[in-house]
Amino acid sequence: MDLLWQIFANGLLLGGLYALMALGLALVWGVLNIVNLAHGALIMLGAYVCYYAFTLAGIDPFAGLVLSAVVLFCLGYAIQRFILNLVARAPMFNTLLITFGIEVVLTYLAQIFFSADFRTINPPYAGNFISIAGAAIPTVRLAAFAVALALTFALWLVLLHTRLGRAIRATAQNLVAARLYGVEPRHLYALTFGLGAALAGAAGGLYGVVSQINPYIGATLTAKCFVIAIIGGLQNPLGVVVGGLVLGLVESLTGLYIGSTYIDVASFGILVLVLIFRPTGLLGKAA
Amino acid sequence: MRFKQMGLQSLVGAFLLVGAAHAQTVVLGASVQMTGATANTGRYYRDGYQFAVERINAKGGVKLGGKQQKLELKLLDNQSDVNLSVRQYVQLVSQDKVNLLLGPFASDFALADSSIAEKYEIPMVQGGGASDQIFSRGYKYVFGTLPAATLYFESTIEAMGKLNPVPRTVALLYADDAFDVSVAKGTRDLVGKAGLKVVIDERYSSNASDFSPLLSRIRSVNPDAVLVAGHETEVLNFIRQAKSLNVSPKMYSFTVGVPTADFRKALGPDANYAFGMTSWLPLAAHKDEYFGDAETFAKEYKTKLGYEPDYHVASAVADVEALVKAMEAAGGADPKKVRDALAKIDFPSLYGRVRFNQVGQISLPQTMIQVQNGTVVPIYAGNGFIGKPLYPMPAWNKR
Repeated sequence: MDLLWQIFANGLLLGGLYALMALGLALVWGVLNIVNLAHGALIMLGAYVCYYAFTLAGIDPFAGLVLSAVVLFCLGYAIQRFILNLVARAPMFNTLLITFGIEVVLTYLAQIFFSADFRTINPPYAGNFISIAGAAIPTVRLAAFAVALALTFALWLVLLHTRLGRAIRATAQNLVAARLYGVEPRHLYALTFGLGAALAGAAGGLYGVVSQINPYIGATLTAKCFVIAIIGGLQNPLGVVVGGLVLGLVESLTGLYIGSTYIDVASFGILVLVLIFRPTGLLGKAA
Repeated sequence: MRFKQMGLQSLVGAFLLVGAAHAQTVVLGASVQMTGATANTGRYYRDGYQFAVERINAKGGVKLGGKQQKLELKLLDNQSDVNLSVRQYVQLVSQDKVNLLLGPFASDFALADSSIAEKYEIPMVQGGGASDQIFSRGYKYVFGTLPAATLYFESTIEAMGKLNPVPRTVALLYADDAFDVSVAKGTRDLVGKAGLKVVIDERYSSNASDFSPLLSRIRSVNPDAVLVAGHETEVLNFIRQAKSLNVSPKMYSFTVGVPTADFRKALGPDANYAFGMTSWLPLAAHKDEYFGDAETFAKEYKTKLGYEPDYHVASAVADVEALVKAMEAAGGADPKKVRDALAKIDFPSLYGRVRFNQVGQISLPQTMIQVQNGTVVPIYAGNGFIGKPLYPMPAWNKR
């Protein structure tokens, strides 16, 4: 029973981090109709920003998250403004190609500048844990979970209640009408993509604290985020949280009861099931 | 018209030059991981090959029939992609016409790429693949300077029998690639022979990043020793997550990572107490024709490249030396003659004594090592302790 509770806690905490990683991807996908294959690479860059802020300037990684989000916001804004806007209304295949290209470029630049060394963000408290009812709860993962939920909730509030959020949602629903109401799409697209990148940056910092960083972590993270975004749906940030938690729990339980080699089978199996049983709602955006 | 003629002339001239250059040099070809997911270790082979070739050339090169010839290295980047590396080896032998081949890093790559060497009958000496699968196919042209994967944990398990208290139960975790599956297979036998009990025997996907389910199981079963055969990224995640889930068996040992400087840098004090193994230590006792001895080699290497060499680097250097020695014995770079010379070769090197068994693989004992206070300490070799192991490992909150 203790083991099950421990596994359950592991899964939930992992899911929180997953949700934050996927949030930016889902936002950009939902609003801009761009499946950003460079999303994982942005997470990777965010992790490096936090890593260098921590090792060179001694900035605590949880404070570094803010820096990392700001840096990635600027990068994301620039990427959308100067590159992706050029293919804004092009078929999806073009945006896939171009974001794939950006992924490759970012990965190789990261290798040139940061080297292929494995890095970890390792503050003294990184390995701390608290015991709750017999399960060891890693404090950093718990904090990461809290940050993830807070950011998701904040994004939800922004989308629902602010002028910017309304403009973003309006553009996603009906571009022409939004323009008639004075929305400047190029700027707004760039803002949205920047927001997505900022979320990736924050997720990267948290990822670096619980896992390890190298220039090549991006591709697998993109795949993971893709699954979560599909499970959770693109309409609502809270859906992404559900997607992340579901995936985290499924992976943990699979690891325990079926076998560690089957974790990917399980997560992509869920993806297939969701696509079969909820096709219109999920494919509607992509088509 | 005149331009065309000039172009032709210079083209012919260029060919003549290339031809002339080829007459003076012996070209060794290899495709290694300079970029991509396994570039972290792949670059050790690039650096090792280059360092060895430079030094051998500085010492005059390879002596063939009374004449000194220089070595030339043709390196390609396989981007950590097995399929690309196979194509690049085909290109190396069929288009670039390299004389002899050096290997890539990692067993999966060596397994696929060595088939090209065998097919074109060009000898390949590879120092990056240890899996028994590479050597169990009856190939004639493939030689390996990493000792057998099945025996990686041999010294560790021997040493375990002499620890106090003796660990009785073992958890065996391994990644699902050629090398680690071979390690697990061999380790299972060794553990059985030593009379230990395997309580967890679990395979996981390569590049897994979340070990919390496995670690939770380990915590609830509570084995005395945990043996992990995997990749360095996985080992880093495993140790970090073990700390945050408060999992501390009496000992744990890893097939990779522990000897490299990178590993200790990434983990800081959390790297302490980790056991591992290495087929090579930079000891002055390993004499070498080109570098003096292994200790001098390690110093010079660090000055030039900026990081400490580990057994991957030493193995790569031994590959180059083995090809040079074989050419000198064969009196030329003829692939068949070099192949026969390789089969009979026996020379001391900075990596240890290089000679190949029936299937073309070196046999070297693994020295059990442990990270103590941020440095790698040799613990057990041959059949006795050469260092004091820190055992049992203290709980994470008592360090």
